[in-house]
Amino acid sequence: MRIASLRIENFRSIKALDLELGETTVFIGPNNSGKTAILDAVRIALTRRWGQRGTGFTEYDVHLAKENDDPKSSPGVVIELRTEETVADEWPDGMQQSLDNISQTDPVTGKSFITLNVQCAWSEPDGCFQPVWTFLNAARKPLVGGSARRVNIERFWQYVPVFYLGALRDADDEFTSRSQFWGRLLKAMEIPPKLEGRVQQVLDRLNTRLLKADPRLAEIADTLSGATRVAARDREGGVNLRLVPLKSWDLLSKAEIILRNEPDWPWLPLQRHGQGMQSLSVIFLFQAFVKHLLAELYEPESVPVLALEEPETHLHPQAARTLWSHVSKLPGQKIITTHSPYFVQHVPFRDLRIVRLTENGTEIQWLPPSFSAMIPHVPALDATVANSGGLLTYERASQTLTVAGKLEEALYRNLLTCFGNNADRAMIHGVLRQLRDRSLLFIPDEELRALETFARRVRGEIFFAARWMIVEGQAEYLLLHGLGQGLGYDLDEHGVSVIDAQNNGSPDTFAAVARALGIPWCAVFDGDDAGRSYVTKIAARDFEAAFVAARCKTLPAGNLEQQLLTDGLEPDLRQVLQAIGQVDALTMDQPALERCLRAHKTRYAAELAHRIAADPSMALRMPQALRDAVMSLRGLA
Amino acid sequence: MEIALETALAKLTDIQRQAVLWDQGPLMVLAGPGSGKTQVLTCRIGQLLDASRDQNFRVLALTFTNKAADEMKCRVAVFVPGLEERATIGTFHSFCAQILRQHGVHLGINPDFAIYSSDDDRKAVLEDALRTAQTEGKRVSLDDVKYLAIIDRLKSKLIEPSVCLHALAGVVDRDRVAEIYQLYEQELRRVNALDFNSLIFEAYRLISTFPAIAARYRKSYPHWLIDEFQDTNSAQFRLVRTLAGNDFRSLFAVADDDQIIYEWNGANFKQIQSFLADFAAQVIQLPTNYRCPAAIVEAANRLVVYNAQRTTSKKPLIAGKTDLKYPASEHIRLVVFESDAEEASEIAKEIAERGRARWGSTAVLGRTKALLEQMNKALHEHNVLSVIAQRRDDFLSAQFRWLVAVLRQLARPLDRRDLAVLIEAFNRLTGLAVSVQQVITEAETTGRSYIAIWLETAGRQSLKQSVADLLTLIAGAANDASLVKTALDGILADIARELAVPDADPDLAEDMAAWREISRDISSHLGRNVPLDQFLQELQLRSKEPTPKPDTVTLMTIHGAKGREFDFVYVIGLAEDIMPSFQSKKKGGQSPEMEEERRNCFVAITRTKECLVLSRGRSYRGWQKEPSRFLVEMGLVNPD
Repeated sequence: MRIASLRIENFRSIKALDLELGETTVFIGPNNSGKTAILDAVRIALTRRWGQRGTGFTEYDVHLAKENDDPKSSPGVVIELRTEETVADEWPDGMQQSLDNISQTDPVTGKSFITLNVQCAWSEPDGCFQPVWTFLNAARKPLVGGSARRVNIERFWQYVPVFYLGALRDADDEFTSRSQFWGRLLKAMEIPPKLEGRVQQVLDRLNTRLLKADPRLAEIADTLSGATRVAARDREGGVNLRLVPLKSWDLLSKAEIILRNEPDWPWLPLQRHGQGMQSLSVIFLFQAFVKHLLAELYEPESVPVLALEEPETHLHPQAARTLWSHVSKLPGQKIITTHSPYFVQHVPFRDLRIVRLTENGTEIQWLPPSFSAMIPHVPALDATVANSGGLLTYERASQTLTVAGKLEEALYRNLLTCFGNNADRAMIHGVLRQLRDRSLLFIPDEELRALETFARRVRGEIFFAARWMIVEGQAEYLLLHGLGQGLGYDLDEHGVSVIDAQNNGSPDTFAAVARALGIPWCAVFDGDDAGRSYVTKIAARDFEAAFVAARCKTLPAGNLEQQLLTDGLEPDLRQVLQAIGQVDALTMDQPALERCLRAHKTRYAAELAHRIAADPSMALRMPQALRDAVMSLRGLA
Repeated sequence: MEIALETALAKLTDIQRQAVLWDQGPLMVLAGPGSGKTQVLTCRIGQLLDASRDQNFRVLALTFTNKAADEMKCRVAVFVPGLEERATIGTFHSFCAQILRQHGVHLGINPDFAIYSSDDDRKAVLEDALRTAQTEGKRVSLDDVKYLAIIDRLKSKLIEPSVCLHALAGVVDRDRVAEIYQLYEQELRRVNALDFNSLIFEAYRLISTFPAIAARYRKSYPHWLIDEFQDTNSAQFRLVRTLAGNDFRSLFAVADDDQIIYEWNGANFKQIQSFLADFAAQVIQLPTNYRCPAAIVEAANRLVVYNAQRTTSKKPLIAGKTDLKYPASEHIRLVVFESDAEEASEIAKEIAERGRARWGSTAVLGRTKALLEQMNKALHEHNVLSVIAQRRDDFLSAQFRWLVAVLRQLARPLDRRDLAVLIEAFNRLTGLAVSVQQVITEAETTGRSYIAIWLETAGRQSLKQSVADLLTLIAGAANDASLVKTALDGILADIARELAVPDADPDLAEDMAAWREISRDISSHLGRNVPLDQFLQELQLRSKEPTPKPDTVTLMTIHGAKGREFDFVYVIGLAEDIMPSFQSKKKGGQSPEMEEERRNCFVAITRTKECLVLSRGRSYRGWQKEPSRFLVEMGLVNPD
């Protein structure tokens, strides 16, 4: 059973957030943007006692709109999660029957789902924050009767156990006999009674022989037994020394992991390996735990939810890259936060969530496969939905209309017409308009697939960028970096990712992705046919004309070389060519110069960039369009 | 396996065991009276659960009355302690309520719907709908509330308002009636309430409109058992049929068409035929009667063959009772008296003479309420403790009617329906004089709740301390839902004080006993902290009649005796025009009505474990009456 969606209100930095989760979801974002709050919300909903004292909720967990608001008067924290079958009859029979009271069925598709709502508000009589768990029906109203009994939430928790692995994964903490995974794995080990008997015999004999090894040990024991004579005057007690543990559990509980990284290196206890190794071991320990113990401690059909913070901690970038394939194969549902571009490099685009803190609290942006809005049912709606070729679906109980892609004009108008005579038509039309606008952010699967194939190299880093600059190729990439430094606006320092679109996919896809993810962007292209076609393609993506004109600059003189020459940089270019080993750099004629520049595009660009970076006055002589592009990044929103 | 279950299984006869362990698809068990069918049902449930301890599926068992359901639940709990939760045992209505609470959302029904079982409530709903329709200019009037009976019939046949015209053929002004039906249904939906017929109808509508939900139930409940199948009406049958779909196999129905006494409610021996046909079911007959002495079994066999409308190839009952406590001469006796008055007093005398120890296991069955009341008086005159048992939909005493009104008002503060009862009952009990109309007007003009206004108005008058305390408790509950239980406890404590005095009102005592039983039952099956609207729903589904005290003779109509058994049974009024009734005679000797009368008689006499006394008077209310033809058919009287 997997969590399909999550709704959080009034929790720490989150005012109101609706998220969808997949089998693996990866959250990235600046520190303190609210990523951990999301993980913690899932933990609170799925465990009864969280934290050392009681529910773990304190007044600091309640979202405050203003600094001096009183948490006790807040409407309270709400965490609602919904688990759903992906197809009808997916859930195993035994689990479906056990959770029968609290599950709902989509009457059209036959898919079952369960909605859990946790509310935590200040309770005056109890003097603390009290959580209240209820299950909701398809219209999000609380279920009553047998469905409201406590035993239902206990059963539900059994099927969706949540585990948390924080960023500090220390072998000292996680590999003791009392740790959440290691401890329980050890305790579950079954030593056959015969072997246990043998072990105890051997330990006893060993103990006796050790005691006899040094006679002073016996004398010490005897002296100590004086204590019993003082304590109980009439009867004689005894004191003995155990140099060796009593039972196999005493031995097992001290079991240590020893590792060696290469075949001929010495074995070392885990705690003596580097932090990276320790951190990784804990992740694999979780895997062992699920494989061997989960079904026993929970239910055979239980599917764990793992909240994993920064799996890349202490790991070399290479290791971080390969880690993804292991983490994504961990059993159960994974909710991961990361700061690593290397880790993110392999994450499928739709599994990423960018978390930011704004004046409305924590917000999320991502590349959703569909968009939903709540509108009331009218009979005309059924026909429109039926004739939409699968693009539209409508769930009547919750009054939710979902569009699985961009809502085109014709279909949009059909929807508006359905409510033509409705009393609330102004409000409903507003909702539909917003839905249409949001759906313009849709990026189809094929396009994302193309991006995933081509954009491997840049993929990781660009999602962490504050702004994107889209250019045509490697040469422009190098030049702009140099220009930035020369103009006093170092692109790296200011979190700008320069994306050379030719090598990585089409520019308009990047523009659309940037818009969907809320990343400010601008672009510079050649002024030739190719460059102008890029601008046209971007414009065709439902961007406003004025916006496209402002954000996309083209070189008026044509391609880059033509532009540089037009702007009077010929002498500098000749020098650059000479510097990179072109013999007749200073003498060749213009057409030859152009050809030569184009033939050594990247090399000359690198050298030119180097010079511009060091010389601000030269930077100021660079083409206007390029300088404007760099300066425009400053205030870009 | 628990000892209790093992022992019970070992004690089953071969045929009974065959039924319990049946797994060859749909089965109809034709079980005569006293054949051990309840034991078969509960053993089967116990065995199904015991054999699947590592699984989570549930077993569904549908009974005819809540009492039967409660008894079965207790027995199952003894057989498979710890697994009781996997057995869903209830009436059709309670099962449908459960379906609608969980999935009714897809029909626009909220989980906290109210159940209106009393005729008064339903008439009030229809009246509200009619009034509103009048203001909208529709041509209806308050008199049209008389069509409620027709609406009930349509609903019990699962006929929607939009298609009911053909079913109303012969009714004057069909279109208007159809519209009134529509108005009634809309009003019920508007106030989020369902009546008993709605429970079945809406559940049927839900599963037939959304087959996915029916499929869910088939998966969660892979085994179904239905008791008293002969008494299901066509709506209930169709519900089962639709829920089962084409593939459901483990359907176990127990029936006896010789005990159909609810034909007026739509039950029909054809239901059994339909079951056999639709489900291609096998049949097992349990003809051996372990309850009655052989003489009674023979008389019952002789009687019932006069009916034509029954399953062909039905075997006659076989007498199987071995340990008899009384000599054969006492097994079945016919006594004749001059008049109904003499009948009552002589029988009362005989019962009195039998001794107090026997009263608890004695029953007097009569065809009409009047007969029973006369009998009851006679018994009291002879100092015999006796009580007329009847299903009661409402409490008797003003105190409990007031209590229920208060709870309903707290659950639905915007509803005016219970206000009149609440205010007037309270006035009567405390001597206050609060005006219903004034409270309504003031609440509606100031926008405050009805109960707040009433509390204020009542509070202003001079009150005894105990009354004032009650009002304070109710005020607390009105503001804070968590205080409802406290208020309820306070009111019950007050009533208990009233009962502690000698000469306390017997109606009040009965109501208190009934209340305690119902509360205990609800909390044992739904937990201690049942939300108020849920508690009220459950209250509506249950009879308000308490179990009779020990050492009390039970008087009942034959319908009330269904499923029961007593050591000593007196069937009185066995005269033409009484049993069989005058109406049935008018319909004709071969009519379905007459056959149902015959079945009533059959059911009556087969309640007996030891001694049966059949009695008649030569005159009733001064009119001479012939002996009942049933006595002739049983061979106890020679036809002359």
